[in-house]
Amino acid sequence: MTRTAAVGGREVALIDLVDRLLAGGVVIEGHITLAVADVDLVYVGLRALVTSVSTAEEKGMLPRMGSAL
Amino acid sequence: MIELYAITDHPTPPLPQVAPLRLVATGDLAAICAPAGDDGVSADALWRHEAVVEALMEQRDLLPVRYGTRFDDEDAAARAVEARRDDLAMALDRVRGAVELSLRVIEPGAPQAGDGASYLRDRRRQEDARRALHEPLAAVARAAMTRPSPDRSELLRAAYLVDRDAVEQVTGLIAQLQAANPTLRLLCTGPWPAYSFAEA
Repeated sequence: MTRTAAVGGREVALIDLVDRLLAGGVVIEGHITLAVADVDLVYVGLRALVTSVSTAEEKGMLPRMGSAL
Repeated sequence: MIELYAITDHPTPPLPQVAPLRLVATGDLAAICAPAGDDGVSADALWRHEAVVEALMEQRDLLPVRYGTRFDDEDAAARAVEARRDDLAMALDRVRGAVELSLRVIEPGAPQAGDGASYLRDRRRQEDARRALHEPLAAVARAAMTRPSPDRSELLRAAYLVDRDAVEQVTGLIAQLQAANPTLRLLCTGPWPAYSFAEA
């Protein structure tokens, strides 16, 4: 989100962003430029991030809920 | 080639100057589009797209369009909107006046495996915790949905459709749930355009 200034918050929000832009939104028939394989690639890339977020959370490195808003 | 960002009502307030945006009107609906770049699926490209939709969202109700939806020209975009006119009008009404909040709940150090009995016990405990978080939020939201979690350390991945003037109430409730569950991490982001509620 543009209002998310904190780096940690932005990384947390990236997972939410991918869920929304690539799997949400209204589908209108046109040239969908993303092949499913591309989407899978993004998720593979994010899986590492999910792990690092969990790890960072355990170490108390990320802001608590609310600061990502 | 043009790229679609959102569907909105026509007429609509003046478009923000965040991109070379164009309005493609068909009846009482309009598609908001801009010349397509050669962006692939990088995080930066997704954030740039999102920034445009968020700027649009400040002034109007809208249905965000799936990322990567492109047309040869404005006529082709107008025909595609026309073909789904009734669905789109209904969906726009469904999200009118509302935004989306995202919540992911992480249980640091959640057991990833175990023998049969402890596995079942953990699953039941996690399911109870999940419900205790999701149900009160779903009750105050206009609509709610969940997505599958990638692994067992993520208890919940949910989206809530919330009236614009109820956002503070819902984030306040999330803060209370966080305080009541200090061993969990509640990661809330938003307000987002209603991506998770755009399709029926």
